[in-house]
Amino acid sequence: MTFPFPLPRVLRLRHRLPHADTPTRPYADRPNARRSVRAAFAAFTAFSLAIQLAQAATSEDPLTMLRRGTDEVLAIAYSGQSPASLPDRLRPLLQKDFAFDLVTRQAIGPGWRQFTPSERQQVTDLFTRLLLRIYSARVVGTQRPNINYGKPVTLAPDRCEISTQVTIPNTDKPYSVVYRAIKLPEGWRIYDVLIEGVSFVANYRAQFDEVVQRGGAPAVIQALKAKLAQPINPNS
Amino acid sequence: MNYLIPGLLLLFSCVFGYADQRNQPNLKVTKSSPQTLAATTTSTSADELTNAPAEKVNDPFERINRSTFRLNDSLTIHVAKPVARTYEHLVPHKVRTAVSNFFYNLDFPVRFANDVLQGRIKRSGQEVSMFIINTTAGIAGFIRVSDHVPTLVDVPPEDFGLTLARWGFSPGPYMVVPVLGPSTIRDSVGLGGDFALNPLNWYQLGVFAHNYIPTWANYTLGGARVISGLPGGVRTYEQMKETAIDPYIAVRNAYLSHRAAQLQK
Repeated sequence: MTFPFPLPRVLRLRHRLPHADTPTRPYADRPNARRSVRAAFAAFTAFSLAIQLAQAATSEDPLTMLRRGTDEVLAIAYSGQSPASLPDRLRPLLQKDFAFDLVTRQAIGPGWRQFTPSERQQVTDLFTRLLLRIYSARVVGTQRPNINYGKPVTLAPDRCEISTQVTIPNTDKPYSVVYRAIKLPEGWRIYDVLIEGVSFVANYRAQFDEVVQRGGAPAVIQALKAKLAQPINPNS
Repeated sequence: MNYLIPGLLLLFSCVFGYADQRNQPNLKVTKSSPQTLAATTTSTSADELTNAPAEKVNDPFERINRSTFRLNDSLTIHVAKPVARTYEHLVPHKVRTAVSNFFYNLDFPVRFANDVLQGRIKRSGQEVSMFIINTTAGIAGFIRVSDHVPTLVDVPPEDFGLTLARWGFSPGPYMVVPVLGPSTIRDSVGLGGDFALNPLNWYQLGVFAHNYIPTWANYTLGGARVISGLPGGVRTYEQMKETAIDPYIAVRNAYLSHRAAQLQK
């Protein structure tokens, strides 16, 4: 069939699609262009997903963070695997919810300002390892504890504390564990734990004060290394 | 509380009190909803936490205290620990819990008297309810039936050291008492006060003319009380010691802050 007059160029389908019977993929003639479009789309998806995840993490309120973190830790601690590797298995979970660098800085106190960047890094690494070992030794017991969470109480505009009551079945009275959390750009992070009113950070701060005054960062590093050389026995 | 017999005081190696609110600014808190918390973000708070000056500790006798601490440490390891291990080995866990419950119930008069001396009417009522429930339904206090009553689950125990603190006495210097463990001047006086407030000691103190409890029973009770407190005390002390950079300071800080926290309740 022929038209009495030539069709405008845009309507000449045969002209635009030389093989109209076989469907043609878009950009078939320009494979590079297709690849870059796909890459752009993937990048956009990943980007928006990352933003959503970041927002979810940041907007997670302290109580939700604490409940989720505690459940994750207890699931691993009471999974029946060997307690020897527990610090390594708990490390990724705890590093997500604890501000270990802030915990270390507080434990050292104002003397931290005199530490060089590499000393700071080394002290943080060693102290984090010590904390993970202590935490792992204490979190494991014969029976999984039951935890009652209180409401967050404001300490400062960006800090709060959450009281919990920990009950281990068939033992004496429940004991009190208070978590203190701070809002950092990446979300709420725990920066101190108080067991029966005894602040973990303040307790180490009291011990480190004298070490820092006596020998500065080298003495702190030496003391931490000596402590890490000794085993910490799990609860019996 | 359990200080009646010296051995129990090893328990104190780990826990018990103090009270200097000036050193605990963080304990003053205001309530608000978590939503308002999430609204603001500053990094200054983290710096504030780091640069806070160290807490001043009233410990002029540190040298003597440290040597007493060493003495108590070897007593804990060479005397208290073997006794505690043997007790744990011989007596099943549930029976040990029951024995601890019994002695806690037996100390009711001391806690009640201190509640009254502090003018805490509600808490003294709670103590009375606990005592009646646990002595009857809990069979002489061996079972803490009161834990199933929501209002009686968490009744902070009062002692004469806390009473003195609420009357306005300052804690005074920190001291490590031989055998008994960490204390302050005020809490040491408090131990004496608690001894005097316990009717079981009133014959010795001359309040009662007649000895209602045979002397052998009193000593057996005292020994059992000490032993029942040992396993928990030794474990807490060992846990503190093995995680500490300086065990003396760790125990001192733990005692003083625990005492401060008790005072806040």
